[in-house]
Amino acid sequence: MGVGGDRLAISLRLPVGDQAKAGVAGRQPILEHSEHRRGILVGPRERENGFLAFARNDNGQGCRPPDVPVPALLAHDLKPATAIPRLETSALSVHFGDRSALEGVDLRIGAREILSLLGPNGAGKSTLLKALAGVLAPTHGVVLLDGQRVRRPNSRVVYVPQRSGVDWHFPVSVLDVAMMGIGLRRSRWRPLGASDRQAALTALERVGMRRLAGVQIGQLSGGQQQRVFLARALVQDGEILLLDEPFAGVDAPTQELLVDLFARLRDGGKTILYATHDLSLAAASSDRMLLVHHRLIADGPPAAVMTAENLRETFGGRAVLPMPPSSPPGIAVAEREVSRHDQSLGSA
Amino acid sequence: MSDSSWLGWLLDPFGHAFMRNAFLAIILVGVICGVTGTFVTLRGLAFMGDALAHAIFPGVVIAFVLGGNFLIGALVAAVLVSLGIGAIGQSGRLSSDTAIGVLFAGAFALGVAIISAQRTYARDVAGFLFGSILGVSGDDLRLTGIVGVGVLVVMVVCRRELIAVAFDRTFAQAAGLNLWRWDQLFLLLLSLSIVVSLQTVGNILVLAMLVTPAATARLLTDRLPLTVGLAAVIGAGSGVAGLYASYYLGIASGASVVLVATLLFALAFLFAPHTGLVSSAVGRRLHFPHPERDVFAPTGEGEATLGEATAPQRPAAR
Repeated sequence: MGVGGDRLAISLRLPVGDQAKAGVAGRQPILEHSEHRRGILVGPRERENGFLAFARNDNGQGCRPPDVPVPALLAHDLKPATAIPRLETSALSVHFGDRSALEGVDLRIGAREILSLLGPNGAGKSTLLKALAGVLAPTHGVVLLDGQRVRRPNSRVVYVPQRSGVDWHFPVSVLDVAMMGIGLRRSRWRPLGASDRQAALTALERVGMRRLAGVQIGQLSGGQQQRVFLARALVQDGEILLLDEPFAGVDAPTQELLVDLFARLRDGGKTILYATHDLSLAAASSDRMLLVHHRLIADGPPAAVMTAENLRETFGGRAVLPMPPSSPPGIAVAEREVSRHDQSLGSA
Repeated sequence: MSDSSWLGWLLDPFGHAFMRNAFLAIILVGVICGVTGTFVTLRGLAFMGDALAHAIFPGVVIAFVLGGNFLIGALVAAVLVSLGIGAIGQSGRLSSDTAIGVLFAGAFALGVAIISAQRTYARDVAGFLFGSILGVSGDDLRLTGIVGVGVLVVMVVCRRELIAVAFDRTFAQAAGLNLWRWDQLFLLLLSLSIVVSLQTVGNILVLAMLVTPAATARLLTDRLPLTVGLAAVIGAGSGVAGLYASYYLGIASGASVVLVATLLFALAFLFAPHTGLVSSAVGRRLHFPHPERDVFAPTGEGEATLGEATAPQRPAAR
């Protein structure tokens, strides 16, 4: 939405290059602002066919895009998209007074990705999400959305805060809360109608909360409240969803439902970035993991990121590796062989 | 008692022009304060409301001494104090609670200091503190009406933002609202509501008009529009009933209005649906269904079938 139609999102496993994985390609607009910091993007003027593409290898590092002409790319499983949300940060630092919450974060987020953000308490996870959403101004560095500097909240990026700040006694129903996602985007002179109500109900349906649409928000359990706020975010119809601890305090079925929903959203063209404490869940349910401890420690597919070294650097003294996926979700405080874990995740 | 004597009893106060004005004024004040007061209670700003009411004092006094319009003086004072509270609160070194306490006491003392230098000190202060509803003139009434309608119109037009900011500040901010500006707008609306209420119920009791009817309404329903409407009706109703009590029992009007509102609150508190003795009949209709009690959830129906129609799918993990 809001962006020209002459773009194309590519989300496929490129058949070229040594283990090159899915990438995103688009036409000109991306080039105009791409910094080529890691040699990820190649512009149309350097390539004959008018496309630029970037690829990421299995270590999560950018690599030269495969040498495939556009028609050949199109012959593969290309899904045209109206816009490619691409959020990136460059040397992003956030300080609170003398305290540094984030230092020098360089991050690129493409379309159709599920990213998990992990780190100990106070590592700057929420700060990063807020900075990406434009809620918090960075001390140094920039956040770019399709090359445009993000200075304030943007309708294409939807930020779902943690639940704690809400007054649960507030006299609003589940449906009212979901409708709030529409109301603020609408001209104040246009009342909300039946179609908006339907949109909100559909969003509630997607998170399995439709049958409780009439209930006052404070009567719900923690996991249910979380899903209502997710529905409110869905109603806002942004391209990038930034979720702060969406799995906090939710039960196993809800967790499963959310994981499934995220995958559906990604396949529908959205980008999801969520903060969590659950390493094994993140490893199993995200395409890319970001480990943060005041700086970006690791960024890449779970298999590449989940090394004892990375985890030790992120979480401190003892390495914490998750149980294999067959075990119940949780974190085992014991070192395990990373390679075995890699296999079970089946990094293709 | 026969019908005609009842009617006579009800209509008797209307024989006096000052009582007609008083009734109209208290109805206006009840409605305005009921609506803004709903947001005051929802946001937990009762202390802020009290502070603004007191902080307005020096503005009114200065306007009085200079012979200017008391409304303008009051507004200038209210805006200055709310900006000051915002500035101290935003500095992060003191809580806004503390900022309110410091500024409102200081502003009130300034008002007292100025007025104590006047000759008619005692009478003026009493009028200001407790209101003089029987002295409401036609001009006062017009002013109250215009300001009140303005406040209500702004609140209706900006309802989505005001509700979002009151309910979930982080969300409102993430959706692009400037919290500081919306807070200031609300404080301005609140100040206006307080100013137009001063003459009717007085400085000390205006807090009751803001908080009590809204709190009563909140006990009776879980729906926001209904809370606002009920608060307005309860506010106006308490005003009218209080004025009758004042007229026939010879007690101070501001006090009797507030006492009626407090009585209604006590009744609601004791007999509110779900929590009180008189539960269901009215309550069920005014309340949301309760998830366990009222919604009969067939197992496996609602939750499991999410979004199946919306997406043809790959497995979750690649």
